[in-house]
Amino acid sequence: MRTVKATPIDEQPERRQTIALILITALGYLPLVRYLSWQITAFLGLVLGLRLVAVRWPEASPGRFALLALTAVGGLNCWYVYQGLPGRAGGAALFVTMLGLKLLELRTRRDHRMVAMLLGFLVLVHFLFDQSGALTVYLALVMFAAIMLLVDLNGGLGDPGWRVPFRLSVRLGLEALPIAIALFVLFPRLSAPLWSLGLERQTGVTGMSDRLRHGSISELVINGDLAFRVRFDGPAPPESRLYWRGLVLWSVGESGWSPGPEPRLAPASEGLESAGEWIDYELVLEPSRQRWVFALDLPVAHPTDTALSADFQIVADRPVVAVKRFRIRSALQYRTHDPPERLRQLALGLPANVTERMRDLVAGWQGGSTSDWEVVQAALDFFHREPFVYTLLPPRVGANPTDAFLFETRSGFCEHYASSFALLMRIAGIPSRVILGYLGGEMNRISGRYMVWQSDAHAWVEVLIEGRGWVRIDPTSAVAPERVDNRSAARLLGAGAPVQFRLDAEGIFGRAIRQVRDLADSLDAAWQDWVLEYAVEDQRSLLDRLGLGAQGDRALVVLMIATLGLVLGVILVTLMRSDRHLDRLERSYDLFCRRLSRIGLGRHAWEGPRDYGRRVVSARPDLTTPVSQILSVYIRGRYSGDSSLREDRRLAQLVRRFRPRTRRR
Amino acid sequence: MGVIYALVVMAIVLGSLNFQNNLGLLFGFFMAAVGLVAMHRCWFNLLALEAQVRPGPPVFAGVPAQFEVTLRNARDGARYDLRVLGGLDGVRPIHLEARDQRSVTVGVASERRGLLPLPEVEIETRHPMHLFRAWSYAASRAACLIYPRPAPQAPPAIQDAGGSRRPARSGGEGAEDFVGPRAYRYGDSPRHLDWKALARERGLVVKQFGGDQGLEVWIDWSALVVSDAERRIALLTRQVLDAAGSSLRFGLRLPGVEIELGHGESHTQRCLMELALFRHANGQGDTDRRAA
Repeated sequence: MRTVKATPIDEQPERRQTIALILITALGYLPLVRYLSWQITAFLGLVLGLRLVAVRWPEASPGRFALLALTAVGGLNCWYVYQGLPGRAGGAALFVTMLGLKLLELRTRRDHRMVAMLLGFLVLVHFLFDQSGALTVYLALVMFAAIMLLVDLNGGLGDPGWRVPFRLSVRLGLEALPIAIALFVLFPRLSAPLWSLGLERQTGVTGMSDRLRHGSISELVINGDLAFRVRFDGPAPPESRLYWRGLVLWSVGESGWSPGPEPRLAPASEGLESAGEWIDYELVLEPSRQRWVFALDLPVAHPTDTALSADFQIVADRPVVAVKRFRIRSALQYRTHDPPERLRQLALGLPANVTERMRDLVAGWQGGSTSDWEVVQAALDFFHREPFVYTLLPPRVGANPTDAFLFETRSGFCEHYASSFALLMRIAGIPSRVILGYLGGEMNRISGRYMVWQSDAHAWVEVLIEGRGWVRIDPTSAVAPERVDNRSAARLLGAGAPVQFRLDAEGIFGRAIRQVRDLADSLDAAWQDWVLEYAVEDQRSLLDRLGLGAQGDRALVVLMIATLGLVLGVILVTLMRSDRHLDRLERSYDLFCRRLSRIGLGRHAWEGPRDYGRRVVSARPDLTTPVSQILSVYIRGRYSGDSSLREDRRLAQLVRRFRPRTRRR
Repeated sequence: MGVIYALVVMAIVLGSLNFQNNLGLLFGFFMAAVGLVAMHRCWFNLLALEAQVRPGPPVFAGVPAQFEVTLRNARDGARYDLRVLGGLDGVRPIHLEARDQRSVTVGVASERRGLLPLPEVEIETRHPMHLFRAWSYAASRAACLIYPRPAPQAPPAIQDAGGSRRPARSGGEGAEDFVGPRAYRYGDSPRHLDWKALARERGLVVKQFGGDQGLEVWIDWSALVVSDAERRIALLTRQVLDAAGSSLRFGLRLPGVEIELGHGESHTQRCLMELALFRHANGQGDTDRRAA
C-alpha cells in the first residue's frame, strides 16, 4: 500500500466547466450593474471577455506581468471611482473586480471551485443593495448553478453532460432547504451590529427631510416609492382622517420651517387630557435613514425602542436603515394639555421678513373677530375666497416666498399653504406649528393593508386654541376644488418617472391593473413580514408560543440543534431504507433463510438456492417437503421472468408457515 | 476545499448577522445546509460499498504486482466518484450505476519473493462537491505471488545428477549430443572432462551429452556453491527460466523439496512457486513473510 497520496490526474478542468463558470459569474454580477459605477462594469466586462477569448485561444491568456498590470488597473479603477473604498459600493466594487481577476488565472479545478464558492459571497453583496423577492429568486438560481458546477467539477459522474449534476444538485438543494429554514428561524440574532463598516451610509434614499423648504415636498410627490404600510387591528378610519403625523416644526426662519432649537424629544409626560376610542395598528416602515416614525394623529402608545415626545412625535432609538415594524396606538379624537409657557413662546416666534402686507391682512381678520378661533376661520375663508390655485408646479418666487405666495403668485401646494397659514397665525398671536407627514393611503384589497406612498406626503398646521389644546387645521383643503390643478401633477410625473396609469380610473382595465398591483404588493408585504424583517422579536414570540419563552436563547439553540438533528436523521433514515430495498419475493426468501439459520443452517453467501436446498435437505431430511416447495416457488418467481405468476404472494404464504425447529435428540 | 467553503459560509453568516440582513443569512444558512447534506452524501456514497480484491498473475520481484479491485454497488442508487488509491490507472474516478460493478487494477511495488499481501485497499470519495473526503479501508486477504528476481545469468544446470533417485533410463549420458558444460563431480568419467576449460583456469568442467529420451536437467540447490541463500535462489530461478526457454525437461531440487522432471508452462510455474516460497534453513528474508 502506497502511503503517499497520488495527485489526481483529472485535475485538469474541462472547457465547458470554465465557460460555465464565466457565465455564472457574469450572471451573478448582472443585477449589480444598477448600483455600481459603469467603470466597474466596464472593467469586469473587459476581464470576462478576455477570459472567454482565452478559452478559445489559450495562448491569448495574459501572462504574469499582464495579470499584475490588470490587477493594478482594477484596483485603481475602484479607488478612482469610489474615492477610497469605504462604503458598500466601494467594497462591492473591489470584491467584484478581484473575483473577475481571479477568473483570469483559472488553471486547475481547484481554482474553479474557489471561484464557485466565492460566488456565494457575491450573493451576499447583492443583498446589501436590494432585497426584493425577484432578485432573491434570481440569485437562488445563480447559487444553484454554482452548486451544480461544484458537483460537476468533482467529477466521477460517468455521464459527461449536465444531466447528472443537475439531478444531484436538485437533490442536494431539496435536502438542504429544510435545514436552512430551521437554521434561519432558530439561529440566535443580534439585536445590534457588532461592527460597522460604514455600509449604511446614505445612498439617496428618498423620504421626508427634517425641514420644510419650498420644493421639498414636491420632490416627494413625484416619487413613486412606498413610504410605509399599515394594518389596522380593527376597522380602518375613513381615508380623509388618515393624517400620518411625522415631524413637528416649531421654528420658522426666512427660508422655511425647521424643528427648532428646543430639545423637543423630552418624553411626553402628561399625555392627553382626554381621548376618544383607541385605534391599534401595525406600521411597517420602509427604510428612511431617519429616526422619526409616522403615526396616526395622535399617537398615545408606542413600541419600547422608540420614544414619544411631548409634541407627539414617535422617535426611534436609531435610524431606520431596514424595513421595520412598529405597533402603535392612536386616538383620532383627543384633547391635548396646554403647553408650558416656554413652548407657547416658541410657537409664536416670527422670522425677520414679515412684511407690512401680512400684518395688515391679519389685522383685518382680527378686527372682525372676537376669538382666536374666528381668526382661524377667517384665514381659511381667505384661502377659499381668494383665487388660490393648488398646483405642483408653482412659479418661482423671490427672496420672501411667503409674501410672494400670499399676494402675488397665489399658486402652490400643501407646503406653501401650511407654512404661510402657520406664519399668519403667529402674526395674529395664535401659537402654531407645522406638521409634516402623509395624508391618506391606498387600501390593498387583497391583504387589507393600507399602503402610504411618498406621493401622499403632506403638511398641515396645528394651532393652540384656548380651552381646546392643539387643533389640527389643514389649509390646503380650503382651496376651492375647481382650482386644484391635477394636470401639473401628471406633467411632473411624466417628466422623471415611468409612465403610471391612473389607478383610480374605473373600467375593466383600471381595475385589472389595480388588482395586479394589489397582488404584487401583498406578496411583497408577506416577503417583508416573513423573510426580511424576521428578527429577534419574532423568535421570542415563536418561543412564547411553544411555551419556552422563559428559557431564552438557550431554548433557541437547543431547539435549533434538535431540529437539525431531526431533519438530518430523517434524511439518513430515508437513505438507509432505500439502501435495503428488496422486493417482496426477496424479503420472503430472506425470512426463509433467517429461519433456517436459527436452527444452524444459515445460507452461505456463495450458495444459490439449489445448492442451499440440497445442503438443508441432507442435514434435515424431515424438512424436505416444505424446503423443496419453497425453493421451487422462489426459483420460479425469481428466474422465470414472468411476474404474472404472483409467486411472491405464494412464497410469502409458504414461508410464513415454515417454522423449522431444532431436532430433539 | 471544505475549509474554504466553511470560511465563505462563516463570512456570509457573520456579515449578515451583523448587518441584520436576513436574506444574506438565509443564503448563508442554505450554503451551510448544503455543506451538511454534502457531508452525509459523501459518507453515504461509500456506505455498504462492496469491494473484492483479487491478486493478479505472479510477477518477478521488482515488477509491480497487480491486484484487481472490484467494486460492487448492491444498492438501488448510483454511486459516483469512487477512487481506489494506489491504482496503476491513476486515480481516475469511477462511478457505479445501481447494481453495477467495475474493476480497477492496483499496482504494488514488489521487492522480495514470496507472497505479497494487500492487507487493505483505500477507497475514497469526495462526492458530491469536493468539500469532504470520505475514505475506507477494505480489508482483504488477497496476496500476489512474487517469484524471486532471477540472476542476470547463471551457470548451466547439471545434467543427470540424480543417480539412484532418478528413474531408470535406458540411454544415460552417452555419446549423443553435446548438451552443455557442468561442474565436475566425483565419479565423472575423465573422458568427459573439458580440458580446455581447465587450461583456462575455469576449474574442472565436464562436458555433458544428452540422453536418448530428450535432454533432462536437474536444477539443484546443492549444485551451486554460493554462500548467500537468496543469491542461490536467484541463480536457480535463472536456471529454471533458461531451462524453460529451451526444450529441456527439467526438475528442481531444493532442501526438502523435489519436483519431478517435467516440461511446459505449468511445470515452470510450479518450480518458480517453490522457489518463491522456499524457506531455507537459516531462515533469512522470507520467513517472516511466510509466517505472516
